[in-house]
Amino acid sequence: MRRFIAAFMGLFALPALAAEGERITVTGEIIDTWCYYSGVMGGPDSVVGSAHHTCALWCSAAGIPIGLLAEDGTVYTILKLGAQDNATGGDTALRLASHTVTADGMFYARDGINYIIVEEVLEDFGIVNLTHEDYDVVPSFAIPEPKE
Amino acid sequence: MIRRGLFGAFFIVLAGPALTQTALPFNVGGPYALVNHHGAPHTQSDPDGLPQLLFFGYANCPGICTAALPLMGDVTTALAESGIALRPVMITVDPVRDTVENMADPLTKLHPDFIGLTGDADALADAYAAFSIDHALAYQDPDYGPVYTHGSMIYLLDAAGTVLTLIPPVMDTHHATQVALKYLAPTDSDG
Repeated sequence: MRRFIAAFMGLFALPALAAEGERITVTGEIIDTWCYYSGVMGGPDSVVGSAHHTCALWCSAAGIPIGLLAEDGTVYTILKLGAQDNATGGDTALRLASHTVTADGMFYARDGINYIIVEEVLEDFGIVNLTHEDYDVVPSFAIPEPKE
Repeated sequence: MIRRGLFGAFFIVLAGPALTQTALPFNVGGPYALVNHHGAPHTQSDPDGLPQLLFFGYANCPGICTAALPLMGDVTTALAESGIALRPVMITVDPVRDTVENMADPLTKLHPDFIGLTGDADALADAYAAFSIDHALAYQDPDYGPVYTHGSMIYLLDAAGTVLTLIPPVMDTHHATQVALKYLAPTDSDG
């Protein structure tokens, strides 16, 4: 809930709601936006970080947009991630899923949605949001039953 | 409640009357010449002059299915209730899995007006290039076969195939419909 409020307030603290894009540097976690917004797998604090890493990979491969959840709670939908055209499902997106990164890129707002084109990942901190300590694996079926 | 609250937070600025917005941040869209699931030629221009929702994915999904196609069907239904007809269109990223013969069944279950498009390698490559779809093998699933990278955005196009805006498939039907209505709703100057 705290993060939800932060996301709400973050919309009004964005660096620009202007007609042109603006260069920004953001530190945050690469997240699976479907599970984060839909709530189908659990609350927003449980569908980030290590607990949700496997599902984040699945969703990315399935074409769900990835997002950058900034430290202030703002979510930026990632349109491009480095040199890769597709932000979603490619090698870079899969490698960085659930990682906390510092990204430099261009910010755009359109139809009420925050977008970022990440031009460079300046620093990759790895998976540092260890949510599995509180939530185990989310969803639980992310660890398949062994085949008999 | 969580779902409604977060979606509401995400799209609260839709209600803001005076907020400006940026133009599309890159050139996207362009001509393509493919074949629809009836076997007929189909380009970026809708043959009936309808606006379009376009997604690059699978009609026959390999295990992990996108949320985009059901959303496109639901938005098409919701817009029809507002008196606006549009065409949901999917361009396959796997022409081996999705063929002229087998795309109609899964797509028309989502909406009867859904159209699936495929083509030869060059024609599909042109379509991918127009929308910057970085088409590549993501991994080989031992149960379901090859899984390809594909698009993550739904594109709202006008009848001529010009991209009007993007719709992330993480929106719920209501909010996605509201975005589409911003571009498609009749204005006072119309008619």
